[in-house]
Amino acid sequence: MYPCCSSASFDCKMENGEGVFEIRTPSRAFTLKAISKQAMMYWLQQLQMRRWEFCNTQSRFPVGSSQLVNEPLAGRTNVVDNEDFLPLVKTPTEAVGLKAASLPAPQTSTALQNISLKHPWTEIQNTVYNICGSKQLWGNNGNVFSFDEFQEHPENVDEEQEAEVEAGCAVKEGTPEDGRMGPRLNWIRKARWMNSGFPGSEELSREKNSVDKVSVLQQQILTLTEEVKSQKELVKLLHKALEAAQQEKRVSNMYLTAAEDKDRLELVRHKVRQIADLTSRLEALEQEKKELEQILTLRDSHIQELKEHVQLLMEKNHAKQEVIMTLTEQMARELSDPLQEANTITVETLYKQQEEIEHLKDDIDAYKTQNQFLNSEIHQVTRLWTRVAENEKALLMKCACLQARNCQMESKYLTVLRKLQEAVPGLPNSDAELVKNLIQEALQWDVKEEAEEGFNLNPVSEYDEYGFMTVSDYEIEDWKLLAKIQALEIKSNKLWSQEIVEKPLRDRWNSIGELNPCAELKSLIRSGIPVEHRQRVWRWMVSRHCSPVPGHYQRLLEQSRSTEHPACRQIELDLPRTLTNNKHFSSPTSQLIPRLRRVLLAFSWHNPAIGYCQGLNRLAAVALLVLEDEESAFWCLVYIVENLMPADYYSDTLITSQVDQRVFKDFLSEKLPRLMAHFEQYQIDVSLITFNWFLVAFVDSLVSDILLRVWDAFLYEGTKVIFRYALAIFKYNEEEILRIHDSVEIYQYLRFFTRMITDGRKLMNIAFNDLNPFPMKLLRNRRSTHREELEAELCELEQIKAAYVKERAEQGPQDLEEVVSEEEEES
Amino acid sequence: MMAIRELKVCLLGDTGVGKSSIVCRFVQDHFDHNISPTIGASFMTKTVPCGNELHKFLIWDTAGQERFHSLAPMYYRGSAAAVIVYDITKQDSFHTLKKWVKELKEHGPENIVMAIAGNKCDLSDIREVPMKDAKEYAESIGAIVVETSAKNAVNIEELFQGISQQIPPLDPHENSNNGAIKLGRQTSQMGRRCC
Repeated sequence: MYPCCSSASFDCKMENGEGVFEIRTPSRAFTLKAISKQAMMYWLQQLQMRRWEFCNTQSRFPVGSSQLVNEPLAGRTNVVDNEDFLPLVKTPTEAVGLKAASLPAPQTSTALQNISLKHPWTEIQNTVYNICGSKQLWGNNGNVFSFDEFQEHPENVDEEQEAEVEAGCAVKEGTPEDGRMGPRLNWIRKARWMNSGFPGSEELSREKNSVDKVSVLQQQILTLTEEVKSQKELVKLLHKALEAAQQEKRVSNMYLTAAEDKDRLELVRHKVRQIADLTSRLEALEQEKKELEQILTLRDSHIQELKEHVQLLMEKNHAKQEVIMTLTEQMARELSDPLQEANTITVETLYKQQEEIEHLKDDIDAYKTQNQFLNSEIHQVTRLWTRVAENEKALLMKCACLQARNCQMESKYLTVLRKLQEAVPGLPNSDAELVKNLIQEALQWDVKEEAEEGFNLNPVSEYDEYGFMTVSDYEIEDWKLLAKIQALEIKSNKLWSQEIVEKPLRDRWNSIGELNPCAELKSLIRSGIPVEHRQRVWRWMVSRHCSPVPGHYQRLLEQSRSTEHPACRQIELDLPRTLTNNKHFSSPTSQLIPRLRRVLLAFSWHNPAIGYCQGLNRLAAVALLVLEDEESAFWCLVYIVENLMPADYYSDTLITSQVDQRVFKDFLSEKLPRLMAHFEQYQIDVSLITFNWFLVAFVDSLVSDILLRVWDAFLYEGTKVIFRYALAIFKYNEEEILRIHDSVEIYQYLRFFTRMITDGRKLMNIAFNDLNPFPMKLLRNRRSTHREELEAELCELEQIKAAYVKERAEQGPQDLEEVVSEEEEES
Repeated sequence: MMAIRELKVCLLGDTGVGKSSIVCRFVQDHFDHNISPTIGASFMTKTVPCGNELHKFLIWDTAGQERFHSLAPMYYRGSAAAVIVYDITKQDSFHTLKKWVKELKEHGPENIVMAIAGNKCDLSDIREVPMKDAKEYAESIGAIVVETSAKNAVNIEELFQGISQQIPPLDPHENSNNGAIKLGRQTSQMGRRCC
């Protein structure tokens, strides 16, 4: 069987069925069936291995020794024939078969990986043991194959086993090596076979294909070269194994050579000790190993912890880096383009704003609705208001009429009372008492009622809009009564004229925007400027001729603070007695008094030639009342003194004032000849009365209402207006005066008669219509003529004075009592 | 029926001495601290009995400020008497008084009765003009002198009574020695009441 085995070729064909394989020898062919594919493969491999071993032993060992080697192998082959032996399949498949089948293309170099060079001896031992173990097991099983040669020694299994063991011990160089190397080589071979894809080189060589012969041979060469390589490695391994065996052999020889049992025992003991020592060392090492393992686990856990920590730190670091990145980006953005930032903000807030816009749109809608409603409401209310206003207007008209009538009635009543008062001495006591009480009652202001009701039940209020007392505070009671009658008459006049005259004038004033000098404005001003326009128009009139120098007033104030003007004393004397019939000046704590002081002091520095003249205080006071502003009042005063009035009107000798008195007398003679004749008859010097009219432009002479109307025209037209009004005042009362035929009574009358004028409109008409023509040229001429006359007279007076002084000086000192007064130069 | 004699009296004197106040007290028996300064002149009348006559004073109050002096002749022209007022608390006003006396002597009517009134005698604690000076000066010019207080109604009536008595009566027989006696009496009264 063995010779044929060496030249046999094996084949397994899948088409034949599972586990069926063929063994072909040159003489005959066997078809065998294994229980499974794995088993088949195992068998095939084993066969290949045997073939390899057989070939080798034939070439290297003597024939005798090969017998020893082949026998157990043959036995083994027989044992494997048992089909039912299932547990056996596992061993060979795990040990050999499966490895061969599952690794399709192992390389030669890697085929030696499992060989441990450190413990070749152990490896060999193991292999031997395996082989022996397998043999024993195989021995128990029957042969299922119809393999004749294998069935020859089924009973000799134990013997063969013993023989093999004997051989293993005796022939150390051979069997163990083969037993160990067999599967490996077989395995390599198998791999090579799988790679080449053909059943076997033997098969190919046997084919007589001359064409392919070279290539086949080349392939064979390659295969053989590889085999040589592996053989060389094997030889190396065997050398090592040999060395180990020789070592063992030396030890065994020592043991064997030991002469006595005692020595042997000693050796054994030595070995035992060595073993024990080694065991203890092993234990110690194991202990150490355990410890090291523990340390290792500890280290591992520590490493784990550290890794975790590192992980944590990494994460942290990462997060921080991210933060840094975002911050850097932000910073870069902010630095590079603030506008962009604003844009981004805008983008961010855009949504919000859009929302807001939505809300606002809603609001707008709501407001629109509301607005519509309110518009309709306004319309309705306006209609109502219009109606109410019309009613109110009608009622006001009615009220005014009633008030006017009331005033007239009251005035008549007071007149009657006055008549009764005059008749008191002739009346019985009780009646006289009654009249007295009635007068008292009539003169009292019902202040309490006024305050409580919110409207004035008195026909006239105590003060007018500029703070002037409407009823002069005369000390004598019949004069008081007279003053009240007069106030009532003024009021009723006003009320009557309100709707008919005042209102159209007011409308005309309201329609005037920018003020321009013209005839219409002149006539409007003559009619009196309404209270609400007066300040504006006065300012305009002042600024037309006397444009304020900026800072001038302040400089003058500065000057008056630093240096005391000689006029200061007189100013201080006059301040508390200025416009005593006006509530804004009558109180010593009034705010207007310090202002008036400043205006007068400033003027005294502004015009040192005049300084301060009594009367200027009244002019400034009226200016303050109307213009309110201190500086404006100052410039108004400047305007009156320096622009309107002739030069020297207020200076040391008041010469032009005196001239004007003469001029006025001329006009009086001309315009009112009857009256002038009457005055001459009773030796009335009107200038005693009229002098201050001119000097202070009727302040304290006319009732405030008329006074301001005169001033309106005076500020616009100049001193001619004073002449006109002075004449008009006489004309207004001409008949009255003509009825008085006593000089004292005429003077008495003239003292108060300006205050008796209640109808400003009538007076205005007289002044500007009845007295026409009133050419300015005539006034100028008369002024210059009289000035010359007066200056000549004054000069003559001075000469007489000088002559008198000279005469007195020549006569020597004399008692004043003895001096006889000279004849008056003016008489 | 008593005869009424109209007597023109003018008041002269420095500004703010109280001319108008004296007139106001005499005529209306009223006092106002802040009576308006007189511009030009103001006119008032009062009738007082004097002996068997009624004297109707036609009082012309004048402006005190110096620049109005040039108007004064208008007022003192034809005056029977002149009341020249000074302020006992202001020496200046006494100087002004002297100037007025001089002017009256020079330009005033003949035989004009001059009465010197030292007003504001209620303020004697701040007096600047001693009573003695005024007395001596009055005697030197033959004028009536009296210290008055328009505020407290001191010697106002007496001042005008004194003037009335100085006015020579229409009857030449009654006129003799009248002034001297009355002046003497007036002076003694003044001393009693004012000092």
